Amino acid sequence: MPQNEYIERHQKLYGRRLDYYERKRKKEAREPHKRAEKAKKLRGLKAKMFNKERRKEKIQMKKKIRAHEEKQVKQKHEEVKEGALPVYLLDRDVQSRAKVLSNMIKQKRKEKAGKWDVPIPKVRAQGDSEVFKVLKSGKTKRKAWKRMVTKVCYVGEAFTRKPPKFERFIRPMALRFNKAHVTHPELKATFYLPIIGVKKNPSSPMFTSLGVITKGTVIEVNISELGLVTQSGKVVWGKYAQVTNNPENDGCINAVLLV
Amino acid sequence: MPLYNFKKIAVVPSAKDFIDIILSKTQRKTPTVIHKHYKISRIRSFYMRKIKFTQQNFHDRLSQIIQEFPKLDNIHPFYADLMNVLYDKDHFKLGLGQLNQARHLIDNVAKDYLRLLKFGDSLYRCKQLKKAALGRMATIMKRQSPNLEYLEQVRQHLARLPSIDPYTRTIILCGFPNVGKSSFMNKITRAEVDVQPYAFTTKSLYVGHTDFKYLRWQVIDTPGILDHPLTERNVIEMQGVTALAHLRAAILYFLDPSEQCGHSIAEQIKLYNSIKPLFNKKPLLVVCNKSDVLKIDDLPEEKKRELDVFKESNIPVLSMSTLTDEGVAEVKQQACSMLLAFRVENKMQTKKLDGVLNRLHVAVPKARDEKARPAFIPAAATEEPLDEIITDPKPKLERDLELELGDDYMLDLKKNYDLPEEYKYDIIPEFWEGHNIADYIDPEIFEKLQQLEREEELREESGMYAVPKIEMDETLKEVRELAAQIREKKAIMRQEARVVKRPGRPVMPRTTTAKVRERSVSRLKSEMSKLGVELEDKPDAGYKRTRGRSRSLSKPSAKKMRVDSEGRARSMSRLPRDVSGVKDPVIRKKLKKAAHKAISRKVGKKGLKGEGDRFIGTKKPKHLFSGKRGVGKTDRR
Repeated sequence: MPQNEYIERHQKLYGRRLDYYERKRKKEAREPHKRAEKAKKLRGLKAKMFNKERRKEKIQMKKKIRAHEEKQVKQKHEEVKEGALPVYLLDRDVQSRAKVLSNMIKQKRKEKAGKWDVPIPKVRAQGDSEVFKVLKSGKTKRKAWKRMVTKVCYVGEAFTRKPPKFERFIRPMALRFNKAHVTHPELKATFYLPIIGVKKNPSSPMFTSLGVITKGTVIEVNISELGLVTQSGKVVWGKYAQVTNNPENDGCINAVLLV
Repeated sequence: MPLYNFKKIAVVPSAKDFIDIILSKTQRKTPTVIHKHYKISRIRSFYMRKIKFTQQNFHDRLSQIIQEFPKLDNIHPFYADLMNVLYDKDHFKLGLGQLNQARHLIDNVAKDYLRLLKFGDSLYRCKQLKKAALGRMATIMKRQSPNLEYLEQVRQHLARLPSIDPYTRTIILCGFPNVGKSSFMNKITRAEVDVQPYAFTTKSLYVGHTDFKYLRWQVIDTPGILDHPLTERNVIEMQGVTALAHLRAAILYFLDPSEQCGHSIAEQIKLYNSIKPLFNKKPLLVVCNKSDVLKIDDLPEEKKRELDVFKESNIPVLSMSTLTDEGVAEVKQQACSMLLAFRVENKMQTKKLDGVLNRLHVAVPKARDEKARPAFIPAAATEEPLDEIITDPKPKLERDLELELGDDYMLDLKKNYDLPEEYKYDIIPEFWEGHNIADYIDPEIFEKLQQLEREEELREESGMYAVPKIEMDETLKEVRELAAQIREKKAIMRQEARVVKRPGRPVMPRTTTAKVRERSVSRLKSEMSKLGVELEDKPDAGYKRTRGRSRSLSKPSAKKMRVDSEGRARSMSRLPRDVSGVKDPVIRKKLKKAAHKAISRKVGKKGLKGEGDRFIGTKKPKHLFSGKRGVGKTDRR
């Protein structure tokens, strides 16, 4: 009765078949050919997945080869010129040009960044027709004064819907969000924080008042979880963040904290 | 059939494979074609279906994994403990628990995204939402990759566990390492446990089966146990301990009085005392192994005294040697009978037995008088069987003789020689007086040969073998030549026929007219003369037509023949198709009938309107034009 490590035991007792290693070697040698054949034959999704995998592998392989080649190349020492400076005097007055350049670029970038104070300065304007869907009402569906919001929105906790007769804007339950993934740009960490309110929707002040959240909207989030403290020692709990994705397409809100 | 079989657990794929399997299944089994001008409800339901399908597959696959692994609370405590020792109960439970959690999360993701999809207003938005949903499900699964890996390893190990039935008659072998547990196991079962002269050769539990009293006995070989506290025992030892603790079985405690295992008798007895609580309420037997090296009786007095511990607590001590097989059978017998008695006793104590015993009744008829009435056995039955008394009519075979004589038997083939009794056993030499005896088997052989040769000579002289010379006269020569000609002509004809006759060609082309009669007297004459036969015009040979077919030979033709320069150059109308190639009107009628029949049969069978009906029911059969084509063919899918 085979039990426990019976395969290992059998190998220990009887060894492998005589041509095991030969066959193994051949199989391994044949493998690339087989894969190439497969890559040619596959169609559709399978081909897509397979080729993606293969591409990744090839990149890795090439990187590895390059790394090995670099190792093999012997570094050439430059001939010491006449009147060369000794090592301890090298960085006295000679400044490497590259470093200066990179510093300048950095400076420039910083200046540029300072001009706008939000991470996403330009936002595509959203028209009413995009955000609202007209709902027909009345007995014969002739009236068309009702609107349904088709984007994600934030609705305060205390909100109660108006009676249908007076309710002009409907914000469906499925599209109401009250939490957002907020990234702290300096900590480089993301937190799932509750939303306090919509500060500004750049497209229209009406969207702001309705709490519509689209890309580029500035929202206020509760960061008490992060435990940030003001200079006077009080815990900060409300901070602004800008939405960086299209929540209606992704099903979640991603935002960057404005610090 | 073992009660616990962990071999049927399905393979747990790695996280990457898992995702690939599910996503490709979604791609294969849900529709793939959608366009933005479709009705929005159709687009929505298209993507909703994809999300739901994926979620359902994830859910099913995960539930299957969770269900197939044994629940530690439901299985026999022996297995539960063994799995705890081998795989760590907490880890195992945590792994399954996290899979359960992942399943729950995936369900929630699907629920959320389905809700969002209901408000999708464009194909793009719907597609993005679907992509996000599947991506999140895949991410959840990716996080489970260490869990899945662990579970796969557990599954592989579980499948290789020996199938121990915890309820059956069981004998457990235990003791220090290297005292001969596995060799004893190999002696009484066919388990083939590895035996090596070093400690801890056996690293896990092994099961074998043996027979005693027509019953099947399970023998469990455990790894050796060292004498230290329970908390310090390693995984290998703990397996043995779990078997001892949870199985109600006869226990054989192995001792090595020769101390070849590297532990003194005192140590071995100390171990016995420390694991004694595990033997509580179980039949126990102490076996002193390696009696071929040192018998118990040969032990020095002080060591013998140490063994008295067992005698005081009424535990039988047996000695045996697995090397010489001495006492092995006795040990097995005693262990089995002890366990059997123990089990019967236990059964007697349970309440279940009363129900059966109450219904049992052994009826003994009451004696009506003093007369003894023993069972009647016919006298013939007690006598010896008849055919043994009657002499065997069969001839005695060599085999019988061999059996009869035993070692004295010698194979004697000479006694069957067809010779008088006195010559049978004579020795025949190969050479005698310098001659090979085989040459002289027939003394007159040379004379016979000479006589034969003489006869042959005589025959030759009389011309028996000479080829008679044939004189060729004129006529014979002609006949020969003619025959040669005929043969040649035949061969040519055969070859011509072979060249002309090609397969797949109609025998008679449609455009031919009825065959003109080819045979004629003149042709016959010319052909025969070519072959060399002259046909003379004898009146009774019938070569000549005696009378014309027409009524009058002298009658002028009704239409005047054209005798101008044109000759017979006028066009002839083409023969109608039904006449072409047909010999005469009778046959034509017959053919027409046959054709009509064939057509009507075909029309009837295929449901056509008539002969000319070329209707094709479906020009584009659905199954050939829907779905993806893949690498397959265009005419079959």
